Amino acid sequence: MEQTNDIINIGVAQVRTGSKPAVLRTILGSCIGICIYDRIKKIGGLAHILLPTDASSSRKGNSPEKYADTAIPLLVERLIRDGAKKEYLSAKIAGGASMFKFDTNASLGLIGEKNVEETKKALGRIGIPILEQDTGGSAGRVLNFYLEDGRLKVKAAGKEKIYYKI
Amino acid sequence: MDLNIKQRIETVITNLDQLPSIPEVATKIMNMVNDPDVAFKKVADEISKDQAMTTNILKVCNSAFFSKGKEITSIEKAIVTMGLKEVKDIVILIVAKPVLDKAIIGYDMAKGDLWMQGLAVATLSKRIAMKKKRKEIADIVFTGGLIHNVGKVVLALYVQNVYKDIIAAVEEKQMTFDEAEREVMGFDHHQVGEKMLDKWKFPPVLKSIVRYYHDPVSAPVEHRFDVSVVHIANIICLMAGIGIGSDGLFHQFNSSAIKSVGLNEGELEELYSSIPELIKEIKALM
Repeated sequence: MEQTNDIINIGVAQVRTGSKPAVLRTILGSCIGICIYDRIKKIGGLAHILLPTDASSSRKGNSPEKYADTAIPLLVERLIRDGAKKEYLSAKIAGGASMFKFDTNASLGLIGEKNVEETKKALGRIGIPILEQDTGGSAGRVLNFYLEDGRLKVKAAGKEKIYYKI
Repeated sequence: MDLNIKQRIETVITNLDQLPSIPEVATKIMNMVNDPDVAFKKVADEISKDQAMTTNILKVCNSAFFSKGKEITSIEKAIVTMGLKEVKDIVILIVAKPVLDKAIIGYDMAKGDLWMQGLAVATLSKRIAMKKKRKEIADIVFTGGLIHNVGKVVLALYVQNVYKDIIAAVEEKQMTFDEAEREVMGFDHHQVGEKMLDKWKFPPVLKSIVRYYHDPVSAPVEHRFDVSVVHIANIICLMAGIGIGSDGLFHQFNSSAIKSVGLNEGELEELYSSIPELIKEIKALM
């Protein structure tokens, strides 16, 4: 049994880090959950991003946690501050679903896809490998990221998958 | 179709005693406020008869979400400062909370998830109405947004039994979740929600929102704008993961709703992008 007090709920546009035995939990629609883990130090973090990049000109830089291109460097920076080593870090990403039926070509329908794309780019820029990816489709996802061993449980449309690679 | 489940749901929704209740004062206030000639004093007197309701209203009025700076110490003051419609919204919010703020097992929602989604959709709907200069419907879409999902509270128990069949229908027949609910159980949560509003004697526009928020083009013409606003607000919240349950994004985003409300792509993205701030604001009401 998981002890409920070990669960850290992560809301939309939040970045959190933690260590064993914490479980980082989040719920995703078109957003992406980026789970990064240091396999040696056994610390990890999760960023729940909403959009690929900040398109607004006026408030730019105000909410780095919302965007893939700014939240990912922020998460890595915090992990390193917590004692992680960059060479031990790897990522698992999940989310980026789209509406099942979207009878319009409005760009809002493509946000899930664009989020996945930018997330990959942002991780690539810092040089963190993506070991597992559970993205797309129309199911919502509930993520549980276990910091004791870095495994990621993804529950979607009533089915659970566990990703172990770290 | 699971005829046994269908029959059980039919029994529940035709036998109003089995559906959740709300205090009568809420329906009374709502109908009083809908009367354009009603006197402030009469509404205040009606509310003041209910001590618990009075205390709750003052608490919500003074919360960070609704507060306009000055402390509100009486119902009269609340009505004068915030207006009758806003006070009515608060009354509905207070009576809806115990109905919605619980775990909704069949839809895989933890306690608080459905309530948070109601608040988020309500707030976003109101924002869309204001943006489109339709202040006169702001209170309606707020309430409609708050309770749009109310049928899930009752239907969840049955969904839990047949979830596998519903999701199979979604995947194999390319149905939306609602269509699959009807296919498997004979009813969807919209129909059940509408029955609950019948029981509570809520006005037709709110029933239309509950019934058609996933299918705004089927709503009666006179309610279509209001329904479309809640439709858009709900989809945006779902995309942001707010109120997402086992039904995921297996719904349809209706382009004619976007057109009829008159939102462009930039505005839609801006609304989506504002969700994290909106969630912080509604925490004051959780």
